[in-house]
Amino acid sequence: MKLLEKTSRIYLLASLVIYVAVGVAFYWITTFMIYDEVESRLMVEKRDFETYLQTNNTWTNNSYFVENKIEVVPVFGEFENEATFTDTLIYNRYEQSMDPFRQLTFYTMIGGSPYRVAIRKSIVESYKLIEAISAAMVTFLALLMISMFFFQRNLSGKLWRPFYDSLARIKNFDWTKDKKLEFESSEISEFNELDEVMVKMASKMQHDYKSLREFTENASHEIQTPLALINARVEQFIQSQDLSENQTHWIEEIYHAARRMSRLNQGLLLLAKIENQQFTDQEPIDLAALIIARLKDFEDIITHKNIMVHTESTGSFVKTISPALAEIMVTNLVSNAIKHNYNDGKLTILTGANYFVISNTGHELKADPGRLFERFKKESAQAESVGLGLAIVKQICDNYELHIDYRNVDSLHSIRVFA
Amino acid sequence: MFPDSGAIFGAHEFTEMKVLVVEDEKGLAESIVDYLSREGFVCEVANTFWQADEKISLYQYDCTIVDLTLPDGDGFNIVQTLKKIAAATGIIIISARNTLEDKIKGLEIGSDDYMTKPFHLSELNARVKSLIRRRNFGGNNDMVWKEIRVQLPSRKVFIDEKDTVLSRKEYDLLLYFLSNIDVALTKEAIAEHLWGDHMDSSDSLDMVYSHIKNLRRKILEKGGKDYIQSIYGIGYKFTAP
Repeated sequence: MKLLEKTSRIYLLASLVIYVAVGVAFYWITTFMIYDEVESRLMVEKRDFETYLQTNNTWTNNSYFVENKIEVVPVFGEFENEATFTDTLIYNRYEQSMDPFRQLTFYTMIGGSPYRVAIRKSIVESYKLIEAISAAMVTFLALLMISMFFFQRNLSGKLWRPFYDSLARIKNFDWTKDKKLEFESSEISEFNELDEVMVKMASKMQHDYKSLREFTENASHEIQTPLALINARVEQFIQSQDLSENQTHWIEEIYHAARRMSRLNQGLLLLAKIENQQFTDQEPIDLAALIIARLKDFEDIITHKNIMVHTESTGSFVKTISPALAEIMVTNLVSNAIKHNYNDGKLTILTGANYFVISNTGHELKADPGRLFERFKKESAQAESVGLGLAIVKQICDNYELHIDYRNVDSLHSIRVFA
Repeated sequence: MFPDSGAIFGAHEFTEMKVLVVEDEKGLAESIVDYLSREGFVCEVANTFWQADEKISLYQYDCTIVDLTLPDGDGFNIVQTLKKIAAATGIIIISARNTLEDKIKGLEIGSDDYMTKPFHLSELNARVKSLIRRRNFGGNNDMVWKEIRVQLPSRKVFIDEKDTVLSRKEYDLLLYFLSNIDVALTKEAIAEHLWGDHMDSSDSLDMVYSHIKNLRRKILEKGGKDYIQSIYGIGYKFTAP
């Protein structure tokens, strides 16, 4: 839920509760005041009535016929002599409706016998008044609420604008680029503080990224250059024609060790770069098509090992990924499936919507298949292999939220990559 | 360094060709110079950016080999200067940086080739020759050695003037040998030349063996001599028997 929506909802709910409470209280107070007024008038009439009795000592209903305002009924039997106020409805002859009345009931002696006297006063006008007041109040409160709602919304929108602006800038910030994170200063000091903290964090990120990047580049140069020297000197050394068998063997080992070291170094640096997310360019790539394309690079070796290749496609697997990493991932997987294959073995590539499976025949695994994705884990004792190929593939998959699993049933090995 | 430096070289076309090696690692520069001098090139070395800058403004070179990471400057700047003042010079970048961006940038600003360290001297040699051949002769000259003649544009091979049909890889292999006559080549260098970096396995060495066997057979069939000499534990050498 957005911040503005949340505050609007809270505001609406709170004001609704308050306005209903205010409305109820107002209604209650108005009613109370009107009753109070009517009752005091009834009390006055009661006194008038008693004064009239004292002077005349008699009562005729005729003298007061309008709206049955005073009703005098003789009482027989017991009664409790007290005055009570009640609400009652009386039929209105002219308008054919039941009108509300307030009625004061009391007992008195007329001509020596007890009578129950009920004096009534219509409160239909008062009800109309309450209705009018209530309607006006509801309207005004609703108008107030709506205008306050929009005012509040507008105000929050204005107040939070620098915040949303900062948020957009942070979202667009790319720490792999040199462009600094910058904010426009706002009137609100909290936002300015937030911006300051973000600027500090961003520049630290850029700095760390840059130094890691430089480190991998320098490490690459510093290690590959001496290796290049070893390689070159070995190549010069083997030109001499009078090498003994031992010397040949030694120089061969030096050569191979240097080559492995170079591969190891390149593999580790590549892993570091992938982890450091230095491959920033991305584009949608059809991995299924890429596998088929890369398979062509291996034509010679496939023919040489007489491997039966079977490809089956039920859909394309398009992924937004760095083209360089996609190449590395696919090449590593295909190369593995060929390298660890038997002569006259099989290589099957199944591709479909959001997955591909590369299966090959090969020696049964001795280790846990999942552990093959760890660094330096290798199954075969091939001297040239440094055991980083699958670790690199795994790291690429992790970076792009792809899943990978390895299955080995008897002599069939399958690696499945899926989104 | 070279006990057999008196041997006959095939590629006389490269004698007196001038090559500048810009490389700060002195040992590596020396190796490259030794190797290329032996092939008939006249080599000069620049160990720093400023030395290189001075040399390219004073002399003309047929080919310049440039390391990107120099202590006092960026190899890319040398490439750019070369392109401005000596457009005829072939440029090969040698660098430990193997990112795609560096390679693309290198080719964009005008270098002809990009090699990642560590590389094989035999490969560098083959590429320098191929580059000079392309630049100086438009790739139209024939490569001739003894009774072998290779017509470069049509990729045709004649042994004793008899048309010899070679597979693509056999042709590449023969060209690599002809660029490195009398040089001991490791199996790995040959495999890398033929299939690139990603095929590093015992399988590729088997494949080198079978391609060499086929090439040797085809040359012998057309009346050539057996020039491919195996060197135990190391590789092969293309040389007059």
